[in-house]
Amino acid sequence: MIAKTRHIKDTKKLIGSLPAVRYVDPKYIYLATTNARCSSFELYIKEGDHVNCCQLIGMRHGPFFDQPIHATCSGTFVGYEKHYHRNGKLIDFIKIENDFKDTFDKSCFKRSPEEIAKLSKDEITEIVKNCALVGLGGSSFPTYVKFQTDKKIDVILINAIECEPYITADHRLMLEFPNRVIDGIKYAMQAFDCKKAYICIKSKYKDIKTVYKQLLKEYPDSGIELCCVGNYYPQGWEVEMIRKATGIKLNPGELPSNRGIIDFNVSTIVGLYKAIKYNMPVVKRFVTVTGDGINFPKNFRVRVGTSIKDLIPLCEGYKNPDKEKVFILGGPMMGASVPSDDCIITKTVTSIIIFDKMEFKEEPCVRCGSCVLSCPVHLEPVQIMNAVKVADKERIKKLNPLKCIECGLCAYSCTSKIQVTDYIRKAKIFAKL
Amino acid sequence: MTIVKESAPHLRRKASVTRMMVDVLIALAPTLIFSFVVYPIKTLITYVISLAIMVGAEFVYVGLRGIMPKDGQKHSFKERFAYAYKGKYNQNNILTPAISAIIFTLIMPAGAPIYAIIVGAFVGIVFGKLVFGGLGSNIFNPAAVGMIFAKICFGSQYVTYVPTWYYQKTDIVASATPLGYINNGAYASTGNYGLFDLFFGRIPGALGEVYKITIIIGLIYLLVRRSADFRIVVSYLGTFSILMLVAGLSVMGLGTGINPFMFLLYNLLSGGVLFGATFMLTDPVTSPINAPSRWIYGMVAAVATVFIRLFAALPEGVGFSILIANMVACVLDHYEWSSSRYTWKKFLTMGLLIVIPALVTFLAIFYGGTFNG
Repeated sequence: MIAKTRHIKDTKKLIGSLPAVRYVDPKYIYLATTNARCSSFELYIKEGDHVNCCQLIGMRHGPFFDQPIHATCSGTFVGYEKHYHRNGKLIDFIKIENDFKDTFDKSCFKRSPEEIAKLSKDEITEIVKNCALVGLGGSSFPTYVKFQTDKKIDVILINAIECEPYITADHRLMLEFPNRVIDGIKYAMQAFDCKKAYICIKSKYKDIKTVYKQLLKEYPDSGIELCCVGNYYPQGWEVEMIRKATGIKLNPGELPSNRGIIDFNVSTIVGLYKAIKYNMPVVKRFVTVTGDGINFPKNFRVRVGTSIKDLIPLCEGYKNPDKEKVFILGGPMMGASVPSDDCIITKTVTSIIIFDKMEFKEEPCVRCGSCVLSCPVHLEPVQIMNAVKVADKERIKKLNPLKCIECGLCAYSCTSKIQVTDYIRKAKIFAKL
Repeated sequence: MTIVKESAPHLRRKASVTRMMVDVLIALAPTLIFSFVVYPIKTLITYVISLAIMVGAEFVYVGLRGIMPKDGQKHSFKERFAYAYKGKYNQNNILTPAISAIIFTLIMPAGAPIYAIIVGAFVGIVFGKLVFGGLGSNIFNPAAVGMIFAKICFGSQYVTYVPTWYYQKTDIVASATPLGYINNGAYASTGNYGLFDLFFGRIPGALGEVYKITIIIGLIYLLVRRSADFRIVVSYLGTFSILMLVAGLSVMGLGTGINPFMFLLYNLLSGGVLFGATFMLTDPVTSPINAPSRWIYGMVAAVATVFIRLFAALPEGVGFSILIANMVACVLDHYEWSSSRYTWKKFLTMGLLIVIPALVTFLAIFYGGTFNG
C-alpha cells in the first residue's frame, strides 16, 4: 500500500472511558537512584530511618542539573533493591516500606490564594526546582529550565493530545481533575505573565470537550481556551502541535520560547498545581495498563514508585501466558521495551503496554516510498537505511538523520516490515561521528 | 511466560509486499482473460513459456546465491537444497516473476515467433532483474527489457497474426497497426480504425495491451487499493495528453482539418500508453521513492513516449520510454538532491518538462516539412 500513514488503530476509545482504579497504598515503594539524565546520587538518610511522605531524602547528580529525590509515602527505608528502570537498565532502587499512615513532611503546606497571587516568576521557578518537577509526558526534562527563559511569552500551550495509540492516562487525568488542570494553567500564566493559554486536545475526544466547555464558562476572563487539533499521529509532537494550534512553523532545533510560545504536558501542569498549592512533589500519577497480553486493561492512579508486578494481578493477570510477551513502558510507537516485568513506575511512566510478541517477516524493500510519504520531518528513511547498510558516512550526513524524532512511522508504514527506525538510530550514531 | 525485548515501534501496519503483488495480479486478470478469449492458443503458449522461464530463472538464481561454502565436509543434496532455499525462497519469489511473465505476455505482439518469446523472457528476467540482485534491486522493468530485446533482435520476423472472428473489418488484416499510420506521417488519417475499435482492442497489436476497457478496470482497482502511486499515473497521462494536444493543434494548423481532441483520444487509446501507465511505470521498484520525483518521473516517461511516437523511427515508444524513465529514476534518487519536499527548483523542472517538449513538438510539426502528412 503506497500511502501516507498517520492513523494508527487502537483501543483508546474503550479504555479511555474506564475510570481510573485507585491503587495508592502498595506495601513497598521503590525510588530510582539514577536515571537517564543523572548518573550519580547521594542519600541523606540511612537504613532503618523513618521517612515522611514528600520528604527530601536524597539528590541525583547529573552533568547539567541535579534532581532531588522525594519519598512518595511515609514509612521506613529498608535498603536497596535492583529493578528495571523505564529506560531498560537494571539499577538500584531505594526501597521504602509503607506504614500506611501517610504522614506528610513539614515542608508541605497549603498556600492561600493571596499568597499564590503574590508569587513572582523567580519564586515559582524555585518552588518547581525544589519539587523536582519534570516533563511528565515522558521527556523527563526539568520543568524549571523552561521557567528560566527570559523571553516574552505570549501563549501557553497545554499538550493533552496524547497522540500515541493505546495510552489514556492523560485522558483520565483531564476528565477526573479538570479543576486542577485549570488552576495549574492559571499559575503558569501568572508565572509567565501571559494572557492566553490553549488546551490542545484531539478533536475526536467529545467527552473532554463537553467537560471543559462547561468548566471554562466559569472562567470567562481567564484567557484559557480549548483548542481542538488533528486526530493523527504524531500530533502531540511539539512542532506539529504548535503549527496546528497557532499556525507558527518552528525551524528545526528552534526553541518554542523564541516565538513566544511555551508548552507543557497536562500532567506537568497538574504537577505544577500541586507544587505551588501544596509545595508537594509528584506523588501520584495516572497510568494505563493495556495491550492484548493482559486480561482486563485498566487505568490506574498509583503512587510513584509502585512496582508493576503489583498491578498485574489487578488486571486479572496475563492473557495467554504461554506466549512470548513484549513489555513496553510508554507508548507502543516510541516507548522502550524492558526485558522483565519487574520494573517500577517512575514519574514519567505513562503506560504499561503488554503485547503478545508478533513476528514480522522481513522482506526485501520494494521502494514503495510509504516511509518517505509518512515521515513527519520529511526525511527519506529508505535512503538513510541503504546508506547505513553500506556505511557511507558522507551520504548519511547529507541525508540529515539527526532531524529524526524517532516517531516510528517509517517502520510502522513499511510494507516489507523492515525495522527502518533502527537503521535511522544507527544513522544518527554515524552522523554524530 | 517469557518477556522478550524489541525496539520501538512495536506496531506494524496491515500491509505487505505480497498483498501489493496480489493486487497487481488481480488488476492484470481481466486483461489476461480477455486476451485468452481472443487469442486462446497464442496467449497460452506465450504465457506458459514466459512463466516457466521467469519463475524457473528466479528459482535457479536463489539456488545459485545459496551455494554452500566449501568446508571440507560432504553434504547430501538434501542439505544443500535446504541451505539454499529454506527461508530464502518464499511466495514473493514466485509472485513477482509471475507478474513479470503476465506483463511480458500481454505486451508481446501477437505475431511473435516462439523463439523470440523464449529469448525475450530469458533476457528480461536475467538481465532485467536477476543480475541486479532480484526483487527490490532491479533498475529496469524486466518485462520491458525482454519485450524490447526480442523486438530489436527478431522484429523483422514478426508476422501479422489476427483472429479474424473478433474483427469486423477483415480487409484490414494485412494492414499496419494503427500507430503505423501516425508514424508514417499520416496524421490526417486514423486508419480504418474508429475509437470504439481501439477501446475494445479490435485492432492488430500486442496480445493484451490493446484491450483498453479491461486495463482501465485494472487501473481503477490499483488506484483504489493504493497499490499503485496515483502521482505517476496522473503525471504520465497528463503530460502525454498536453503534448499530444499540442501536436494535434499543430497538425490542425497545417490545414489538415483534423480534430485535435480526436487526435489526442486516438493516441491515448492506441499502443501501450494506458497499459504502461498502469502496470509498468507504477512498479514501485523501478520508480523513484519520493513524491516530487515521482511527478517528474512520469513526465520524463511521457515526453519520451511522445517524441518516440511522433519523430522516431519506431511506431511505438512506450517500452523504450519506460526504460528511459527507469534510468532517470536512479538519477532522481541521488542523495545530493533527493528530498521529499517540493521546492521551486522541482516546480521549475516540471514546468520546463512540459514547456520545452511542447515547443519542440509544435515547431517540428509546423515547420518540419518531413513530418507533414
